[in-house]
Amino acid sequence: MSLDVASVRFGYRRTPVLEGVDLRVAEGGFCALLGPNGSGKSTLTKIIARVLTPAAGSVSFHGRDLLAAPRREHARVVAYVPQSGPAPFEQTVREAVLLGRTPHIGLRPTRRDRDIVAAAIDRLGLGALGDRPMSQLSGGQAQRVLIARALAQEPRVLLLDEPTSALDLRYQIETLQIVRSVTREEGVTALIAIHDLNHAAHFCDQAVLLDGGRVVADGPPAEAFDAAVLSRVYGLDVRVTRGEQGVEVRPSALEAA
Amino acid sequence: MTLTQTPPREAAPDAPPPARPAWRGRPAVLWAGTVLAVLVTGWCVTAGTADAGPADVWQAVRLAVFGGVLREDFAQTYSIIINLRLPRVLLAFAAGAALSLAGVVMQGLLRNPLVSPFTLGVSPAAAFGAALAILLTGGSAGSGSWLVIGSALGTALAVSAVVLGLASAKAMSAATLLLLGIALTQLFEAMTAALQFVADENTLQAIVRWTFGSVNDAGWQDVTVVGAFALAALPLLLWYSRDLNAIAFAGDDAAKSLGVNVTAVRVGLIVVSVVLAAVVVSFCGVIGFVGLVGPHIARLAIGADHRYLLPFSFLTGGLLLVIADTVGRTVLAPSVIPVGIVVAFIGAPVFINLILTRRGAAQ
Repeated sequence: MSLDVASVRFGYRRTPVLEGVDLRVAEGGFCALLGPNGSGKSTLTKIIARVLTPAAGSVSFHGRDLLAAPRREHARVVAYVPQSGPAPFEQTVREAVLLGRTPHIGLRPTRRDRDIVAAAIDRLGLGALGDRPMSQLSGGQAQRVLIARALAQEPRVLLLDEPTSALDLRYQIETLQIVRSVTREEGVTALIAIHDLNHAAHFCDQAVLLDGGRVVADGPPAEAFDAAVLSRVYGLDVRVTRGEQGVEVRPSALEAA
Repeated sequence: MTLTQTPPREAAPDAPPPARPAWRGRPAVLWAGTVLAVLVTGWCVTAGTADAGPADVWQAVRLAVFGGVLREDFAQTYSIIINLRLPRVLLAFAAGAALSLAGVVMQGLLRNPLVSPFTLGVSPAAAFGAALAILLTGGSAGSGSWLVIGSALGTALAVSAVVLGLASAKAMSAATLLLLGIALTQLFEAMTAALQFVADENTLQAIVRWTFGSVNDAGWQDVTVVGAFALAALPLLLWYSRDLNAIAFAGDDAAKSLGVNVTAVRVGLIVVSVVLAAVVVSFCGVIGFVGLVGPHIARLAIGADHRYLLPFSFLTGGLLLVIADTVGRTVLAPSVIPVGIVVAFIGAPVFINLILTRRGAAQ
């Protein structure tokens, strides 16, 4: 009962990005994908989301091959939250979230589709903004609309590609809290590509550290974070402290000051 | 508690929004648009130098459809309406509708409201094909001949096939596709100019008349072909409106993750829109801006959801061309300004406005 990624390889032309990645996330788990820029964490989420096709390897959920399933069926199991960007056409928040029903609906959304959309909007605290055009939203609100869209998809696996990078501190924390509650309350398995090691340590059950297209650490954050490994991967001296508040990573340079 | 007490202020923002407010109005707008289109089109049939009122039009159509005795004093009016005005107006509507549909699809697929099928070089290629056929037959083949139509259609389809083939083989972005279209437009315009340079007086005139774009020699055969393509395309495109919405609003990556087979849908729908544009260009010549302005007006009226935008663009594009043609044949009557010229006069300011008022968010 888990999301399994096995020996996944991927490259752009001759530049290898992923060189045999294996990882397993337990069902209902919240896993952080960490690593420096270019380490392949974004690529890995896109492969699981079927945005990119790997050169080799497999992705399965509950033992079912996700890469071989028809796209529509895959989209009923796996939802993907990209980073929010500008859309060329005007759309209300409700219409944007309704796009999440794409793999479920025929030509016309039903009453049930609209109810699910309304619930997803409420869950992300966007209730008052349903009829607001997307172009009038702040970056944080737009990112939450994309998460609402993914929830409206009713997925069993939720993938997030650096959803917090454009958000201020409050929305970063809120976003992570929402994803965590979705994993806890609905048993959804979540995989998040994220930069902030301490946020990952606090909210996630599992941390996977990628470097140069390979997994270099995998486990509960408290165990996976190793000062020597992190220092080498990021090319920056860091200290890892383990306390009652959990594990914390700080660049040594900041401590010297 | 007094009777004058105002209701609590917080109630307004917290109250659940009325059930599906934005979704309710659009079918009504669509129906209103359809009725308006029929009325305006009917009225345009009455406009012209020969007197023909709405009653005459109605009677002529009734006679043509259900048969009956044609009175002698009505014969001339009947002939003008059935053989000249009606096919002209209907061809204008069908051509406008087809170009507008093609524009909506292109804009959605390339995620850019400033493109039209012409941006891919379809129209200049078709114009070159037609000019070549006219030149090779020494000007004897007019704008209505099947040779010219076939040559225009063939060139347009061949060029689109090359562009799309290159695009899919090299996995090009929408931006690259547009640049390629600009290059091809320049190339084919230069080639058409070269043909005009070597053509004699008569042939030159035939080519130039064709590049203006008009519905001057409209016959029922033209109406049937262009109309059939436009009417067949609408339900086909509507069937894919869900996928088109996902690609247009969410982008390729997110659309893929929403279960849309982006590559297949994109190629299929681009082929449909290129065929639509090529058919129109080969029958009516080069009519620009409808594929750009028709969708834009429709988007203002009914929003960008393709389930409604597609049929509404069909109406706005058709109406735009019918009105432009009516203006063209009435302002300087009895001379007739080709509809391609009139529509450019209307379209260019709208296009400039579109560029200047484009939201900053879309960059």
